[in-house]
Amino acid sequence: MVAFRPEPEYAEGQRRQNILAILFCILALVTAYIPADMQQSIAWSMRVTALRPFIVTQQWVAAAKENAAEAGILRAQLDSLTASVSSQADLLDENRILRDLLDLAERGEAYFLPATVLRSGIPGSESTFFLELGSGDGIENGAPVVNRHGLVGRILEVRQEISVGMDWTHPDFRVSAMLQDGRTYGIVENRRGAFREEDRLVLNGTAYYETVPDDTLVVTSGLGGLFPRGIPIGRIAGIEEVQGQWRKAYRLQPMVEPGSATHVIVFTNPSPKNLYQLWSDDSSSTVEEEIAERRDP
Amino acid sequence: MSHSIRLWLVVLCLFSAHFIMHVGFGLGPEVPDMLTIALLLAAREIGIGGATGLGLAFGLLEDSLSVLAFGASSVAMTITGALGATTRNLFVGDSLSFQLSYFILGKWARDLLHWVMAGEALRLPFLEQVMLNGFLGGVYAAAIAVPLMVLLGSRRREAR
Repeated sequence: MVAFRPEPEYAEGQRRQNILAILFCILALVTAYIPADMQQSIAWSMRVTALRPFIVTQQWVAAAKENAAEAGILRAQLDSLTASVSSQADLLDENRILRDLLDLAERGEAYFLPATVLRSGIPGSESTFFLELGSGDGIENGAPVVNRHGLVGRILEVRQEISVGMDWTHPDFRVSAMLQDGRTYGIVENRRGAFREEDRLVLNGTAYYETVPDDTLVVTSGLGGLFPRGIPIGRIAGIEEVQGQWRKAYRLQPMVEPGSATHVIVFTNPSPKNLYQLWSDDSSSTVEEEIAERRDP
Repeated sequence: MSHSIRLWLVVLCLFSAHFIMHVGFGLGPEVPDMLTIALLLAAREIGIGGATGLGLAFGLLEDSLSVLAFGASSVAMTITGALGATTRNLFVGDSLSFQLSYFILGKWARDLLHWVMAGEALRLPFLEQVMLNGFLGGVYAAAIAVPLMVLLGSRRREAR
């Protein structure tokens, strides 16, 4: 920082500086109010040029972390799986024949693509993430993003090799939902708390006289066509609010903590209509439940 | 090496470090806002036109990663650059207390402007984002920036 300097000798220079400053301020304000499509075009051009090295760095770092942490575990799992699969070839054939006879749908592998979640620490990007999958992989705008516990979020924008998604903490997140038994329908939305730690999911718009017991599983209903039916969202954790005598909203214990979701699965197009078979009731558990089970087996 | 070249090298290093830490390593508020530090450093050296231009460029880059409120960082950084450059004409001093106040208030002003521009649905509560995070972020920024200025030699030049 330099010491104070006298004003420029020529006022013309100062005037030019002031005009430039006003021009840049107007430009900055314009960027905030131009249509969203134009904003996203600017953002994408920045991401694939000036910011590309930093995004690629995060991909490297994530891959390196993964390799370092999981190489031993993966090797052990691979050995076990190889032994298991080689001894169960007959069972696989038998299972395939039985599934054909019963006309059961195939498992969802064909509809899914795995991806690593890339998050930036820039203010304002808290509820969004990048995935190194794009339209070239069959991903489309709005594709659901899940992990083994349940719904993480959905894809917001897709480009050829990379896409941007939002998790359920995003203020615009909404999903049509129902109880697992289909008794009650509603809309699950994010509700901001006084602090970020108090953000929660709420099942809104349910009928007043329909009582929902705590710990009931809430899944996507498939209404609206954006999310397939049957993806776990959370478990009922008490009444959030009651409006008059006609509406109740329930607080949910989310199945997925977005901050801990490092690896996800994205649906490719076309995605199946019903996914009940992928999250059976006895295997669905929240991250918190899993941690508790590990502590007290 | 001239002071001007040293300054731009420091700005470039801060810019790179900011995005490597926040984007490359995905770190959040545990790493200081080095982009604002770079802007505030440069704003005292270059004219108000250059400071606002630099602020706009930095803001656009940040906005490209924050899908939530495009333009909020652009406006915040542009006005912060303008305010930083204006202090050249308003404050003669270059003492330690002035520098600390300059960086704390500069970062706080940037967070306040970002909060205003982010919109009601997207921003965090004022108490958390501006009063708590903004102030702590300002202190953190000053703790990084003031030693950096000593290394840059600005304070020695003033003493001469």
